[in-house]
Amino acid sequence: MAAPVAARALRAVPWRCAHPALSARHDLHTTPACLKTRAARVRVGKGDKPVTYEKAHAPHYIAHRKGWLSLHTGNLDGEAGAAERTVEDVFLRKFLYGTFPGCLANEVVLKRRANLLVVCLVLVQNLAPSKLYFLIGYTETLLSHFYKCPVRLEVQTVPTKVIYKYL
Amino acid sequence: MAAITGQLLAGAGYWTALSRCCRGAAVGLFSGAAAYSSVPSVSRRGGKQREASTRRTGRTSQFIRSHASPRTERMAVDQDWSSVYPTAAAFKPASVPLPIRMGYPVKRGVPLPKEGNLELIKIPNFLHLTPPAIKKHCAALKDFCTEWPGALDSDEKCEQHFPIEIETVDYVSAGTSIRNPKARVVTLRVKLSNLNLDDHAKKKLIKLVGERHCKDTDMLTITMDRCPLRRQNYDYGIHLLTVLYHESWKTEMWENEKTEEDMEEYIWENSCSQKNALDILLRIKASENVSNVTKEELLVSEVVKNYRNSVVALKNEGETENNMSQYKESVKKLLNIQALP
Repeated sequence: MAAPVAARALRAVPWRCAHPALSARHDLHTTPACLKTRAARVRVGKGDKPVTYEKAHAPHYIAHRKGWLSLHTGNLDGEAGAAERTVEDVFLRKFLYGTFPGCLANEVVLKRRANLLVVCLVLVQNLAPSKLYFLIGYTETLLSHFYKCPVRLEVQTVPTKVIYKYL
Repeated sequence: MAAITGQLLAGAGYWTALSRCCRGAAVGLFSGAAAYSSVPSVSRRGGKQREASTRRTGRTSQFIRSHASPRTERMAVDQDWSSVYPTAAAFKPASVPLPIRMGYPVKRGVPLPKEGNLELIKIPNFLHLTPPAIKKHCAALKDFCTEWPGALDSDEKCEQHFPIEIETVDYVSAGTSIRNPKARVVTLRVKLSNLNLDDHAKKKLIKLVGERHCKDTDMLTITMDRCPLRRQNYDYGIHLLTVLYHESWKTEMWENEKTEEDMEEYIWENSCSQKNALDILLRIKASENVSNVTKEELLVSEVVKNYRNSVVALKNEGETENNMSQYKESVKKLLNIQALP
């Protein structure tokens, strides 16, 4: 990691002290790799990797075979607040991933209805029901106080993850 | 188990060993049975870890699944659906007694079933808005509604009593803030025929407002958005209308410098068209050696009146078939040329 960074830095700094005649800068402008053809795609393997419907479909299937995981008015024409909603979404997903360890069967679906935030979870039946109820109540209360809006959790439990196919 | 029995027999007495062996065997049998029953038909692939985890999930899911049949199996056909879905909620497969499948199927397969189906959860559903539910909503809201006044039963009556229309827009969006800067815009609409204006005042008002007046509908539309609050914009709009009305009734000194270019419509009297027409007629009469006719007589005569009407129509209304043919006839009569078709 250090070597390429150092190499890039060396290339950026012109060595005027060594050769005053060759004062042309040979900088290389690099950007972080986008990897657009590998984004959100599970690579095909031997056929033993179980994959959910959400993971099995690549991003170009959104609006064709997949719906949206987060619904709000921020992305409509002439509406404001898209960035704020997105930042909230990122935090919510990370928070829920940590609060329900190993229980999330699929991605979290977030719906906003005026002020209300509805979080739809699909959980695997890993925890005892009492623990689950506590976590749901804890999440709702904490998030309501944090975002100053009513937060409702709609939880569905499944015995195992719903497998779409094996890749 | 055979090896243990052998050892015991060798070590201790036969009966004690047998009893111990039997106890051991009995315990072993029970635990074995329990072990077999607690782990459901899960394939025994993988190492110890996988086995341990499946055994754990098997035990906890047994707790949850013991008496849990989904609610759909106990629903009556004529139940009250608005109590199952009283408000907007995500799709709950255990509460909706329909065999729905959703998703793009794998090859030679079917779409995924509704249990744990994220696609069904993602989409908004209207299970809470069945017609009986909407009827209940309306019945509950009726108490808060007031009757429409019976005297205002037609559009004309509404316009007669309330000539000024105010339009405001409220915006609803999803998020923690209710503020929307577009909500401060107020539009004021009024028909000029409803205002008490004489000819000069109306022309002056139209000149003052410019584009905001629509000729076809005679509607004056003012849009106010320069103040930050809706109330302020409304007050400003009413103030603006008052000022326009009073200003249009006043006649300033510089208004008598109005030239022909400023006129809104074509006036034939004292125009070059009138001058030219009278000039031509006088010359015709002079060449025919008729007795001196005066301008006033000419103006009053039928042909000149016809010509005047057709020219005014052409200039004010534009060129239509009717107008052009009328002009043609009037010119022919004026110059006394009947031969041309």
